[in-house]
Amino acid sequence: MSSIRFANVSKVYGDGTLAVQSLDLEIAEGEFVVLVGPSGCGKTTALRMVAGLEEASDGEILIGDQVVNDLAPRQRDVAMVFQSYALYPHMSVRQNIAFGLRMRKVTKPEQRRRVEEIAKILGLTEHLDRRPAQLSGGQRQRVAMGRAIVREPKAFLMDEPLSNLDAKLRVQMRAEIARIQRRLKVTTLYVTHDQVEAMTMADRVAVMRRGVLQQTDAPQRVYESPANLFVASFVGSPPMNLLEARLSRGPDGLVCRIGAAEVDLGHRPELERFADRTIGVGIRPEHVREAEGEEPRLRGEALLVEALGAELLAHVAVPAQPLLVEDVREGAGADDDEAALPAAATPEGETTMLARLDAESRVRAGDLVGLSFDTRRLHFFDLETGLSIRPVAAPAPAAVAG
Amino acid sequence: MSGPRTLGSKIVANALAVVVLVVMLFPVYWMVATAFKPGRDVLTYTPKWFPTHPTLANFRDAMGRAYFWSDVKNSLIIVGVVVVLSLALAFLAALALAKFRFYGRKAFIVLIIGVQMVPLNALVIPLYILLSRVHQVDKLSGVIVMYLTFVLPFTVWTLRGFMLGVPRELEEAAMVDGTTRFGAFVRILLPLVAPGLVATSIFAFIQAWNEFLIAYVFLHEPSKQTLTVWLANFTTLRGTEWGPLMAGATLTALPVLFFFLLVQRRVAFGLTAGAVRG
Repeated sequence: MSSIRFANVSKVYGDGTLAVQSLDLEIAEGEFVVLVGPSGCGKTTALRMVAGLEEASDGEILIGDQVVNDLAPRQRDVAMVFQSYALYPHMSVRQNIAFGLRMRKVTKPEQRRRVEEIAKILGLTEHLDRRPAQLSGGQRQRVAMGRAIVREPKAFLMDEPLSNLDAKLRVQMRAEIARIQRRLKVTTLYVTHDQVEAMTMADRVAVMRRGVLQQTDAPQRVYESPANLFVASFVGSPPMNLLEARLSRGPDGLVCRIGAAEVDLGHRPELERFADRTIGVGIRPEHVREAEGEEPRLRGEALLVEALGAELLAHVAVPAQPLLVEDVREGAGADDDEAALPAAATPEGETTMLARLDAESRVRAGDLVGLSFDTRRLHFFDLETGLSIRPVAAPAPAAVAG
Repeated sequence: MSGPRTLGSKIVANALAVVVLVVMLFPVYWMVATAFKPGRDVLTYTPKWFPTHPTLANFRDAMGRAYFWSDVKNSLIIVGVVVVLSLALAFLAALALAKFRFYGRKAFIVLIIGVQMVPLNALVIPLYILLSRVHQVDKLSGVIVMYLTFVLPFTVWTLRGFMLGVPRELEEAAMVDGTTRFGAFVRILLPLVAPGLVATSIFAFIQAWNEFLIAYVFLHEPSKQTLTVWLANFTTLRGTEWGPLMAGATLTALPVLFFFLLVQRRVAFGLTAGAVRG
């Protein structure tokens, strides 16, 4: 087991495409890091560079203390799980799993012992003599995992290993992979475009966009304090509400004007320099609530109310400008389940705001709804740089009571 | 195609298939039947459809002729070398074309198709001059090189198709699992394109075994000729000896048949099924 380190790694393809740009990232021994981002963001290229299937154009890749740039894949002692599984079709499950051991000249009895042990862990014992073609998708996925685990490599590399499974199986395998990784404590670099996978499995999430690393942090921290607009819109399902707002100075500190509504922010030193400027404001759907016995901050018509069992997801058209900068579009478009760009169906000058409401709520489609939120839950973004405006001195507005 | 198939259309289709079958099989049947007929039954005004007095005399006659065994040996040498060389060269060439990008790759692929369009007959004389300059006329090696020139384009092209069908991830997985790049080709790609190798080897075998023109022009010495050229010796100024000729032709056809039966079971397509999500 070893750490993996990208030191200022870049990759330029033959046709001039810059796939990865000055990537600095360290995956500690035994850590599970998920590289996440929309398709074409360079995450798979980064992974393949660690495996040795792609050459780095610049920078150094280290496995443990060793620079591996010039080593062949077989000399790097890493195991990779491919999106397509890449099982050898002419070999039985047993031969597939044992292949890496055979190539490393492990003795026959030892091969046998380890293959059977792994098969037991993965529930493949009765399938050992079958061919991949005779297995179901989930079983093939397990064989691919087994092939990686059996070698006891320095690190696991996984390239969207769950994307070919159906939704139910994906949830199940997600838990299984996370469980296996924690049990074996093997350094793991996992690539996915699915931010739910990233959030649920990772020790740390690394968000990439257009070859550039955007933010690396624990999943909860990335969720709670996204570094920029792209991360804010990419991470979270349903996605964060992002609106245009204007800051001005009022009698009691700063006032944030969202559409027609005015929200008192009080004393916010970090926002001082944005006074009289337009900024981006974000709030997570779970932090938006129905106004009860208080003056609602925003009012609008509920366009759609989705009953999700434990909660309601209300789409409310509020009079405010949506944030239509590229960062947001790209981030939201990447996750196509629920982020079907609400702004599209909304009339000019209005934004569809998502609110996760209590299942008891009586809001129905067509109702006029008053929405409220805690101002401490707001995220602010500099529209020029797209960067999050963080509170001065304090690391992040993490543990705030709702 | 939609709509139910009527009885009428089925009958027409089947009748057509039977006609095609008869047209294809009859010459073969006639060759074998004639080989077993005694001389007086070979050429008759009312054709004898079955050898009523079967005899092996024609076979004895054919096999007893001069150079039969030496020409069998020549044919086997030429075919053996052509099949092995064409498979080895075509595998590597197809590998390059299917798996690597290099300057001039597209042009090379076009060229492979292009050279197959040139009629061989037009090349015989220039090739003869070329080979005589390098002292390869009247030598088996010269004919082997000639055969490779028209067998290779087809085998390279076919194998390339088979290789393109093998996902790149399989070799990558093998390389990460501990093989060298070449090891991945041998352990993963080679078994997966085996049906392609079999198909192309049958092609190479038939081409080299049945070829007449080049062997006839390039090989003068009777002891260095191939079986197809040897067969031509049955046609003399005094006419054609049909019985022994057909016996010889039947014997000549046997190795191809045996080779095909030997390898055809391995032409099992769909071996790559299950490698990646199906």
